[in-house]
Amino acid sequence: MTSLILRRLGFAAFTIAFVSMVMFAAVEALPGNVCTSFLQRFAQGPRLERCIEQQGLDRSAIVRYGDWVSGAVQGDFGYSLKKRKPINELIWDRFSNTMILGGIAALLAIPFAVFLGIAAGVRRDKPLDLSLSGAAMLAMTIPEFVTATALIYVFAILLQWFPAVTILPPGASFMQMLPNIVLPVVVLSAVLIAHIMRMVRASVIDAMSSDYVQMARLKGVPEHQIIRRHAVPNAMIPALNVIALTIAWLLAGVVVVEKVFNFPGLGTLMIEAIYDRDLPLVQTIALIFSVIYVGVNLIADLAALALDPRQRRKGH
Amino acid sequence: MNKSLLLSAAIAVASSAVSAETLRIPHELGYGGSESIDPISPQRFYEAIQNVYSRLVRQGDDGRPSADLALSWEATPDAKEWTFKLRDGVTFHNGNSFTAEDVAFSLMRTQSPTIDSPTKGVMEIIDRVEVVDPLTAKVVLKQTHADFPLLVMDYRIKMLDAETCGGDLDALCESGIGTGPFELVDYDPLGTTTLKRFENYYDGLAGVENMELIAIADQDARVAALQAGQIDFIYALSAEQVPLFANNANFEVQSVPTGRWVGMVMNTQEAPFDDPRVRKAIRMTADREALGKLVYGKDGFIASCDHPVWSGDQYRAEIDCAQDIEGAKALLAAAGYADGLQVELFVSDISEGAVKMAEVLQNQAKDAGIEIELVLAPSDGYWGDVWMKQPFFATGWSQRPADQILNEAYRSSAAWNETAWNSRDFDAGLDAARAELDFDKRKALYGALQTELWENGGSFIPVHLNTVRAFSSKLKGIDPVEDFSLRLENVTKAGSES
Repeated sequence: MTSLILRRLGFAAFTIAFVSMVMFAAVEALPGNVCTSFLQRFAQGPRLERCIEQQGLDRSAIVRYGDWVSGAVQGDFGYSLKKRKPINELIWDRFSNTMILGGIAALLAIPFAVFLGIAAGVRRDKPLDLSLSGAAMLAMTIPEFVTATALIYVFAILLQWFPAVTILPPGASFMQMLPNIVLPVVVLSAVLIAHIMRMVRASVIDAMSSDYVQMARLKGVPEHQIIRRHAVPNAMIPALNVIALTIAWLLAGVVVVEKVFNFPGLGTLMIEAIYDRDLPLVQTIALIFSVIYVGVNLIADLAALALDPRQRRKGH
Repeated sequence: MNKSLLLSAAIAVASSAVSAETLRIPHELGYGGSESIDPISPQRFYEAIQNVYSRLVRQGDDGRPSADLALSWEATPDAKEWTFKLRDGVTFHNGNSFTAEDVAFSLMRTQSPTIDSPTKGVMEIIDRVEVVDPLTAKVVLKQTHADFPLLVMDYRIKMLDAETCGGDLDALCESGIGTGPFELVDYDPLGTTTLKRFENYYDGLAGVENMELIAIADQDARVAALQAGQIDFIYALSAEQVPLFANNANFEVQSVPTGRWVGMVMNTQEAPFDDPRVRKAIRMTADREALGKLVYGKDGFIASCDHPVWSGDQYRAEIDCAQDIEGAKALLAAAGYADGLQVELFVSDISEGAVKMAEVLQNQAKDAGIEIELVLAPSDGYWGDVWMKQPFFATGWSQRPADQILNEAYRSSAAWNETAWNSRDFDAGLDAARAELDFDKRKALYGALQTELWENGGSFIPVHLNTVRAFSSKLKGIDPVEDFSLRLENVTKAGSES
């Protein structure tokens, strides 16, 4: 058991290390470098030389990668030329904003989706199931930037109930942030709910037609107890992985949704950084995202191990 | 008696209701949050410095310099020494008086090699500034310049408080203390920067009490914010966004000419562009009106004839440059390309419409037997790898006054002489225009230089771009002038009820 957990942890660490290498190499492969992208038309003569020296670009790529990794491990991600600030100062506020947005969306969406999934699965092919499944298909197929734009048009421009884009005063409190995150949370939740609900529904349907549920029925166990005691716990194991994957999807969704709503999170910072060719910042945010992605999947793996004794056997 | 009292009370109530408003302007984060409140910083925070500081002279309605902090100025006959008489009783936001010492400090620091300001090259013409008395400053130039006031009209040459800045010529001064109509309250370039109107502004109280500069980097988000009433104004709309506001009573749309241009550059030293007939033939194939409409929309441009001086500039020469396919063919034949000409044009998504413009030129030039092959270069590293490296490539410039753009882009020794234009006569013409104190004669000299560029130059400059702005119809007092001349202190905002 312990060795299994250690093996999973080791694999996660390896993934992150590999991702960091790919990212560094990709940035290296772009034409130009940090200095030419920052200086643009001024990238010539002594100005360029000074920048290259300050940024240490005269050293080889491997040395710079080593420097970057050892800095990142110690929590020092370097300096953003474009924003004239250490990257550490830039990201943590944004990180917490994104966590608030994603966290609220996940906290609202997951229990709700599980509940809807069970309700639909138990009432398979009944009107409730059909309408829920139809709505879920719709939510899954419409891209989130379309949903976001439509919601902005209706609730911000026509009705003016909520702001169209997020404008936060400096040091805004959570309560000031709240009206700003209603629409983004709705957009993110809609897709989350749709995905998780579909999966939970399928699992519940599987469980409901299983032999042990048949057995329980024949024994005369009341239906609500069958659902609560037998069907749902078993249905949750495959659903866990989907929830983890969906939370990982949330990272990509958050980038798009943050951009549409001008929300001051990591996603908008990432897009700005890409647009500005602020390469150290792009690397840092991509690394944070990959850590979250790997972390969420790791937790789901471990949770599945805890829930399902079969997976603890060797060879799995 | 009673009636008039009531009336004045009503007016007082009405005006205080108006004045309590906040003007909300988006900040485009052009420098990604590295914005500096120092006006000569390479990353100047334009939206803030525009309102916090004042210039010595500002652009008048006729495009010529008019009084701002300097009331009048005169030059010695050789135009080498300029004496500025300053406005009396002007104070900075911190209460310090504005004096000639501040002028000397603010002008000399533009040359600092440490700050390395984009204004450095132009302002290096100043040798020294003498403080004659507290309200008189004498600027001594290294060389003659009959239009020196135009140089200090630049939107970055603002007057700073020498004392607050510690008198250090080589340090950025980020105090935000100026003499402008608004003073800084809260500075946050990545969030919301707050200004309030300066009670002692020499030109009267600003029309709104507060101003917020709200960071919204994304253009679509700015458009949504204006539609939803979260901001009051957008500086520049794209052609596709204009219809969102054009037929809506809640908004006004204003299209104004600017000096921005996008163009194609031929290196005049490299074959086949070393032959002026080839250059002119390519330029003659263009139908500039059609090109402008296709690339920038019908209200998006003013056609130009391959010289960089824009329509609002007092020195612009009006030249006729209609499309002439037969003329182009004849020139090509004379240059030895009777059977047609094939060239490569390097373009990239570096400036608005650059790629589209190249495509239109490619099509128009076909009729004269010129095959232009477009080479799409990545915008990463474009300015280092392609610009001024290839013989034929796209470029883009922001607005500059005639003398400045002609010197920066066409003087043989200029760092950004992108056409490799090497003409002793042209350099001499630039010097002669600078030395000519008579306005009409000076205008004729600058006009001759522009005609020379149309006849023989290496630049293809089909249009100057308009800027199309949209704003809430609650705003009054937004003059149809380009951004650098816009005076937001004159803007008033009606209350939300009206």
